[in-house]
Amino acid sequence: MSVVLAHFKEQTLQHLRAPAYLLPTLALPGLFYFLFEGPDTEVGLVTFLMASYAMWAILGVAFFQFGAGIAEERATPWERFLRTLPLSGLQRLAGRVLSAALFAAAAAAVVIVEAHLINPVSVAAGRWLPWLGALGAGGLVVALGGIAMGYWASPRAATPVATLAWLLLAYLGGLWATPGELPGWAAEVSPYLPTRLWGEVTWAAVQGQAASPGGWLGLTAWAVGFAVLALWGYRRDEGASYR
Amino acid sequence: MIELTDDAVGARAVAELRGVHKHYGEVEALRGVDLQVGPGELVALLGPNGAGKTTAVGVLLGQRRPNAGSARLLGRDPTLPATRRLVGAIPQLAGFPDNLTVAEVADFVRVHYPDPAPTPELLERFGLSQVAGRRAGGLSGGLTRRLAVALAFAGRPRLVVLDEPTTGLDVESRRGLWEILRAFVADGGAVLLTTHYLEEAQALASRVVVLADGQVVAHGSVEEITARAGLSRGHVRVPSPPGLEEAILRLTGGSS
Repeated sequence: MSVVLAHFKEQTLQHLRAPAYLLPTLALPGLFYFLFEGPDTEVGLVTFLMASYAMWAILGVAFFQFGAGIAEERATPWERFLRTLPLSGLQRLAGRVLSAALFAAAAAAVVIVEAHLINPVSVAAGRWLPWLGALGAGGLVVALGGIAMGYWASPRAATPVATLAWLLLAYLGGLWATPGELPGWAAEVSPYLPTRLWGEVTWAAVQGQAASPGGWLGLTAWAVGFAVLALWGYRRDEGASYR
Repeated sequence: MIELTDDAVGARAVAELRGVHKHYGEVEALRGVDLQVGPGELVALLGPNGAGKTTAVGVLLGQRRPNAGSARLLGRDPTLPATRRLVGAIPQLAGFPDNLTVAEVADFVRVHYPDPAPTPELLERFGLSQVAGRRAGGLSGGLTRRLAVALAFAGRPRLVVLDEPTTGLDVESRRGLWEILRAFVADGGAVLLTTHYLEEAQALASRVVVLADGQVVAHGSVEEITARAGLSRGHVRVPSPPGLEEAILRLTGGSS
């Protein structure tokens, strides 16, 4: 466990000291929520959007810490040096996941606290647990997407790809407004995207409604797809670099 | 957990390649390489660029899978992380995260070993105490190399595998590392190092293994190598280092 904790600390310190990582993940979602969504008085809307922006914040951690992070690090001398240590790939991954979970929680917390400070958001006591559960479950799915991106994107392309995917999936998933406000072409694509499916289960949870089974099924399908891509990419990278 | 007993370490070669073939597509990087490093021995792996030295080190450390033949570290499979608990190594290219200090990097690395050296002691030994609080990614080339070598000793290893450890080091640092390696070997440690500095091999190595075109073309003491190439200290008028250089050039087909 101490090795996993050491990797958690190493990842966390590195990211805490990197403004290029902190700005999009911790600052932008909260800033955008303030600029575009608040202050407002419509309780249902601001609560719905608080849930949406918390998802966008977690999506940013998944894509930048896993996607851009893995892609940029995997070819570095440091990663090659780590291969000489008595260390398994699973321990390294566990350290990364713990660190990302901390940043994801912090990024979502910034939005949630801010929303409570500037808007009349309302989440009933009994809805918090289902809501946070839905946030976490969807976070795992997009984390798998980030890991897949990390092993398939080239180091130089990773940050632009992560940025583009982060913005597009947020917009098309209906996280910046409400899905009903999307233009026609986007509205047609939206129901099939992981962010929209994540939104469906999260919005239902925060509003105290039952999520449609389709949302969970769709998310599960994306999780399987991302996991296969991540494993495939990992093995491909291992083959290219180390075998 | 794999227990590496004294018997396991001492009774056989600490590091061993046996009949190793490794190819990358059409390119045959290693062609039936045999290599052993015993306790209390420093083996220098020499050869021209592209001879297969780094690939041999990669196979030995479990980072490259041989197409044929086998690699053993301390009598164990080198691909198992537990095998590397008594092994320190530095790859040819060294580099550290921009956002961690030298002391943080050392603290991080030592956690992986069961009986690591304390960080202050390690940094002092390699002349890095003064830069302990500096960002590791911002060190000069020489300091980066020195930190890499220091980290190879972080776990109090029985074997260190050093791929061109002194490249970029100034003369004083190089000589300092030589003293550390001599003391380590005298204490029963085993070293495999690749180097382009023939004086280094001549000054340190108990044995020299010469690779050319993926094959071992000579092995033995410096004296045996030079003798095999048809040279002797008397044959070469300049002091000893060029004697080995001349021998390597002859054995690997280079011009002299």
